[in-house]
Amino acid sequence: MRALSGLDLKVSRGSVFGLLGPNGAGKTTLVKLALGIAFPTAGQVSILGRPAGDVGTRARVGYLPENHRYPAHLTGAQTLRFFGRLSGMDEPELGRRVESLLRRVKMEEWRSTPVRRYSKGMMQRLGMAQAILNQPDLVILDEPTDGVDPVGRREIRDLLLEQKDRGATIFLNSHLLSEVERVCDRVAILKEGRLVREGQVEDLTRVSSAFEVETHGASRERMETLAARFPGLVVAPPAPPPVGGEAATGVLEGALVMTFSGDPAGLNRLIDALRAEHVSIAAVRPRRESLEEVFVKVVRDGEGA
Amino acid sequence: MKIRALVLDAARELLYRKTLLFYFGIVTLVHLFLILALQTDVADGAITSIRVFGLEGRASGGGFTLGDRAAPATAGLTAAALVQGIQIGISFVLYPMGILLAVFATSSLVPRMLEKGTIDLMLAKPVSRPALFAARYLGALLVAGANLIYLVGGVGVILGLKTGFWNWGFILSGLMMTAYFGALLGFLVLIGVLMRSTTIGLMMTTGIFIVSLVIRLPHANSNWPMLLTSRTARFLAQGVVEVLYHALPRTFDVGQIASALILHQPVLSWMPVVGTLGSGLAALGLAILYFRRIDF
Repeated sequence: MRALSGLDLKVSRGSVFGLLGPNGAGKTTLVKLALGIAFPTAGQVSILGRPAGDVGTRARVGYLPENHRYPAHLTGAQTLRFFGRLSGMDEPELGRRVESLLRRVKMEEWRSTPVRRYSKGMMQRLGMAQAILNQPDLVILDEPTDGVDPVGRREIRDLLLEQKDRGATIFLNSHLLSEVERVCDRVAILKEGRLVREGQVEDLTRVSSAFEVETHGASRERMETLAARFPGLVVAPPAPPPVGGEAATGVLEGALVMTFSGDPAGLNRLIDALRAEHVSIAAVRPRRESLEEVFVKVVRDGEGA
Repeated sequence: MKIRALVLDAARELLYRKTLLFYFGIVTLVHLFLILALQTDVADGAITSIRVFGLEGRASGGGFTLGDRAAPATAGLTAAALVQGIQIGISFVLYPMGILLAVFATSSLVPRMLEKGTIDLMLAKPVSRPALFAARYLGALLVAGANLIYLVGGVGVILGLKTGFWNWGFILSGLMMTAYFGALLGFLVLIGVLMRSTTIGLMMTTGIFIVSLVIRLPHANSNWPMLLTSRTARFLAQGVVEVLYHALPRTFDVGQIASALILHQPVLSWMPVVGTLGSGLAALGLAILYFRRIDF
C-alpha cells in the first residue's frame, strides 16, 4: 500500500503551513518521513536544507506527535527536562526554559505531578511546551488541539502565533479547520496520499465569480426588488442575533449583505444601479468560503482532485 | 549528556517498576541477617565458635548443626571455608533469582519505547537510533548490575569484617554474572525489538535461560542421541544441540566458573564466558541493526 505518491511540497521558512486531509490521507506519514521516523521507498525529503533524518538538524526541530505518550514515571517538569537534555540544551538554559514554559502553558501548578495523572488537555499543554522547549526553527505539530477545550485551543493558537513572530516555521496537521484557517498562511490538502490542493488560505477560500455587496440604509424590500432585475443577486437572510455579546459577522448594524454571482462586468452594472438608486455601498468584497467548505468539496466531491 | 539522560531515564523507569527493588529488599535482608544473626570468633584463620541467632553452631566433616551441644565443635573449620560455603549457598540461590528478576524487570523496556506516541518523540530528538537503543540497554544493565554488585559487595564486606577473610573471587563472580546478564539482556532486547511484546520477550528469554542451562548436558555427553536409530535424525539432533550451545549464553558453564572463582579453584577455560559475551553482543548488534532501519 502506498501511503504517499507523487507528492511535491515546499514549505517556506517563517510561514505557518497547514496540512489537511481525511484520516489515512498520509499526513502523519509525511511528518514521519521528514523526521526520519519512517523511511521513503522512493523520493527525497529534506528539512531546513538537510536530508530527512539528519541527527544534527533535529536539534532545530520541535515535534508534537499525535497521541503522544510521556514516560509514566516522570513528572511534568522532569519530562520537559528529559526531552530538553535529549535536544542537547545546556542545563542552566534548560532550567530557565522549563520554568517559563510551565508558566506559559499554565501547568506550573502541576509541575511535580506524574504525567500519568494528567488529563488529555494537560498532556497537550505539556506537549506544546515540549515541542517549543529548545526554541526550534521548525515546529511540527500533529493535532495539537486534540482533546483541548476552547480556552485551551485559543491559548495554543496564541502560542503558535508567538512562535511565528519569533521567526519559526510551523507545520501544522489538524482536523480543526477553523484553527488552521485562523493561523495558517498556506495550506495543502492531501487525499489518498496525493496532493490535491495547495495555496494561500485566502486564495483557496476565494470564490472567483461571486462577490458580497454590503449596503447601508436601504430596506430589504427595496433590495429584493432590485434583485429581481439582476440574475445572480441574492439578498442574504437577516443575520442571527449576536452570541455572547460578540457580533457573529462583521456586518454593520442596519446593513444588508447581498451575494452577487457573476463576472466583474455584471458587478459593475450592479454597483451603477445601486448608486443610481442612491443606495449607500458600505463594502464590496470577493465572496469567500470557509476552509471547511473547501475541504469538504475537495475531499468528498473530488473538486480540484 | 544526551546518552547520560537516556541511560538514567531507563534506570529510573526500572526503579519505578519496583521489581528490582524487591530483589534489592531481599539482598538487604541477607545483609542484615549476616550482620545481626551471624557471630563468629576467629583465631589464626580458624573459626573457634559460631553463633546464629545466639545458638551455638558446631561443624566438622562437612556437617553443621545449631544448638546441639553433643555435636563436635568447630574444629578444623577455617574462616575461608565458612565464608566460601556461605557465598556458594548465596550464589546458588540469589544469582539465578537476581538474573530472572532482572529479566522480568527489563522485559518491558524496549517494547514500551517502541509504542506509538513514545518512539515518535524519541526519534524526533537529535540522538542517533543506535545510541538511543544502546543507552536503553545500558540503563537496564546498570540497574541489574548495581543489584548484583550490591549483593556480592555487601556479603563480601560483611563476611570479610566478621572473619578477616576477604574473598575477591566472590566479587569477581558477581561481576561475571553481571556480564552474563548483559548477554541475556542482548537476547531480551533483540526479541523485544522484533516482537514488540513484553510477554513474548519475557517468555522467550526465560526459555533461553532454561534451554541454555540444560543444553550443556547433551553437549557434554556426545553419545546421547544413540537412542535415535536414524543417522540423519541423530546428525540433526546433534547439530541442533551444538548450534544452541554455541549460539546461546552458556549458563551452566558460567555458573561453574562462578563457583570455581568463589572456591578459588582453577578455571579450566574462560571460553564459556567469552562465548556468552560474544552471543550477547551479537544479539545486541542484530537488535541495533534492525532498529536502525525499522519504520515507525
